[in-house]
Amino acid sequence: MSEIDTSGGGHGKGKGGKVRSKKASTNVDMTPMVDLGFLLITFFILATTLSKPSSMTLNVPDKSNEKEQETEPLKASKVATLFLGKNNVAHVLDGIASSDDGAKAALKDYSYGFPLREALMKARVRVDAEFGKDAKGESQFVCVIKPLRGSTYKNTVDAIDEMAITKTKRYALVDALTPDETKLLGDKTKE
Amino acid sequence: MPIVKPIRRKPALDMTAMCDVAFLLLTFFILTAKFKSQDAAEIETPSSISGIKVPDKDIMTISIDKEGKVYFGIDNQVNRRAMLENIAAAEGLKFDEKQIKKFAIQSNFGVPLNQLGAWLNLPKEQMAAFKQPGIPVDSTAQNDLAKWVYNARKANNDLRICIKGDNISKFPVFKNVMGSLQAQNINKFNLITGTEQSPAGWKAD
Repeated sequence: MSEIDTSGGGHGKGKGGKVRSKKASTNVDMTPMVDLGFLLITFFILATTLSKPSSMTLNVPDKSNEKEQETEPLKASKVATLFLGKNNVAHVLDGIASSDDGAKAALKDYSYGFPLREALMKARVRVDAEFGKDAKGESQFVCVIKPLRGSTYKNTVDAIDEMAITKTKRYALVDALTPDETKLLGDKTKE
Repeated sequence: MPIVKPIRRKPALDMTAMCDVAFLLLTFFILTAKFKSQDAAEIETPSSISGIKVPDKDIMTISIDKEGKVYFGIDNQVNRRAMLENIAAAEGLKFDEKQIKKFAIQSNFGVPLNQLGAWLNLPKEQMAAFKQPGIPVDSTAQNDLAKWVYNARKANNDLRICIKGDNISKFPVFKNVMGSLQAQNINKFNLITGTEQSPAGWKAD
């Protein structure tokens, strides 16, 4: 660093020598400032929400013109129905109509996460093997999600998320149960 | 030979660099900070692999807490004011300027319409301590949520609807909320969730 010559005029040595102003140390103790800095950082870290929540889009069918669209009924063998029950259990009915005699035996329980995902993948492979892809090159597998009274919001979100993970494009969130389904599920529909 | 005595000095560390770093970080955190909003209820959302972020503005949040109480909120103070004025006109209620001001600073609330005036008259501390009963959604006779949604959209037509539910809230409440929205022909909404790692090998298409 360059220094500023604070001595008065008169260069060179001699004549009683230069009058030097006493140099005070310019070192400032930074420690309290650092303390303060880190204190504020801690405060801001704790006060902010770091993980920004994400959102998933949910489209539901239009209720107002329900009657106008008469669609042909789906083949039961293309559909897997997920009944979201209480205590974080999903009852899966895969490829069989609820009115069928064998439905009770075919109804299987899965927990959320990997077991359910595997079951969905299996169902999809079965449908793909049987029916192949449709005209648009997409799987014909359809999944119907039916949350029961005892299920939680988390279960619904998990099930929809499972659709995203298994890339099941065709799924529907339906809350009404058919009489056959009510009979099939029995006690499971209760809260 | 004289003995050379080492000069004892206090060990000094130059704090300037550390101070620089501390304040750099501080600046970063101040600029990126978004304060936790004071919500009427604490809600633990489930997580999903969806990578879509919740928009910052023009959102309407319908929250469902773990007891199944429903809370409602929109994001802008000007819109909140307009919404309250709309609903007051539609329902034949009267709010004075003080009440409207108080209402405008609430990020969300869970008070039925018929108790709203009394709630807004409470002093600030009592307002926060007041146990909010939630907005009625189930009965079709007094579906306050539908009215709020309608008047909020009247105040700001660009509002996107977000539903923020608690992990353990029961499905029927969510169904009622969906029902009130669908009754108004709103068929697309966002579910606010936490972010979760997608399974290994999974790719979005």
